[in-house]
Amino acid sequence: MTITATLEVFRCGPGGTSRRFEHYEVTVHDDATVLDAIEAVWAHHDRSLTFRHACHHASCGTCGMLVNGVEALPCIADLSAALRQRNPVRVEPLRNLPLAGDLVVDVAGFFDRMRASTMTITRTAEDGLPIATDGGGTPAQPVEVAEGLARFNRFENCVECGICISACPTMATDDRFRGPAMLAALGRARAESDDPQERERLLDLADGEHGVWRCHGAWECTTRCPQQVDPAESIMQQRRDLLRRRLRGRVR
Amino acid sequence: MSTGAPPRSSRLRATSRWVAVRHRGSGTWAYVANRITGLALVGYLYIHLAVLSLLARGPGSYDRFVDVMRSPVFLALDVVLVAGWVIHALNGLRLTVVGLGFGVRAQRTMLIVAAVAGVVATVTAAVLLFGD
Repeated sequence: MTITATLEVFRCGPGGTSRRFEHYEVTVHDDATVLDAIEAVWAHHDRSLTFRHACHHASCGTCGMLVNGVEALPCIADLSAALRQRNPVRVEPLRNLPLAGDLVVDVAGFFDRMRASTMTITRTAEDGLPIATDGGGTPAQPVEVAEGLARFNRFENCVECGICISACPTMATDDRFRGPAMLAALGRARAESDDPQERERLLDLADGEHGVWRCHGAWECTTRCPQQVDPAESIMQQRRDLLRRRLRGRVR
Repeated sequence: MSTGAPPRSSRLRATSRWVAVRHRGSGTWAYVANRITGLALVGYLYIHLAVLSLLARGPGSYDRFVDVMRSPVFLALDVVLVAGWVIHALNGLRLTVVGLGFGVRAQRTMLIVAAVAGVVATVTAAVLLFGD
């Protein structure tokens, strides 16, 4: 069984020039995802359409975009459901990140923030994991980790898709706001650390007018996160820890 | 890498999106309601000060104004004012408690309680205002 769907696709030139919506009709399998439909547009209508994707199963976070005005991973967004919600299905790039072109945003700034929190890319537990090269499960050599990356621990479950950055209304008003992903990462790293000095340093990073105190409590990061990371709860817990630290400082 | 501030037009477009609540969660609805009621209450404060300044022109001037304010249209606006004040106050309490890290997992329950209490308070205010 196949379905025919019309997609209303945001298009623009490099850096966000010539913004417009273009309509494409595609015929895909009836259990297709929105990403399948976008790929069909690229395959059968317009090879110049720019979009990012990799894993097709919500583990890489690469394809994050707006589907019918709401942040989603189109690789797991059911096309039929999206069509019932809005016809034609509208796809747009994530918000609060610089536009690179069409459905692609520049995530360099986002990853810079994540890197500043000293965690991204891999988890510590993955450093030095043996990999089998002979097909028989025999460990051959440790995973090569690029210089400087060994300290970059990813926080549990987050796929760094940028959806929380796009959904957060505060991100649009403060370029220096560290954002839900980085703040959740700081909370996660602090929870994992046994080193009191490191825990204090991570709490210092979360502090400040562009840190946890900038959040206005809309909870949209948590609502939209496709991996249930719950950045909002982490932000509020770090506020409580900061408050306790300050009160303890005054008592002394 | 583009990490600098976006152009002014794009910034305005981005910041103006905070009012877009369609398809958003209850937290965003509360966030937008708090902002709109906050802005409205600031506006009302100036109107209130202007009205009070009528007292400087003597009791007759103020009494005539109060008679106009007793009309059903202005009483209805009073109900809207009470609703705005209650929404802002109750949600503000919720945000203060949750924003300091207490009862974070109960934030949605607190929102529902605040909404119900807000409706009850507004209906009570309406009954009292129109009952006189």
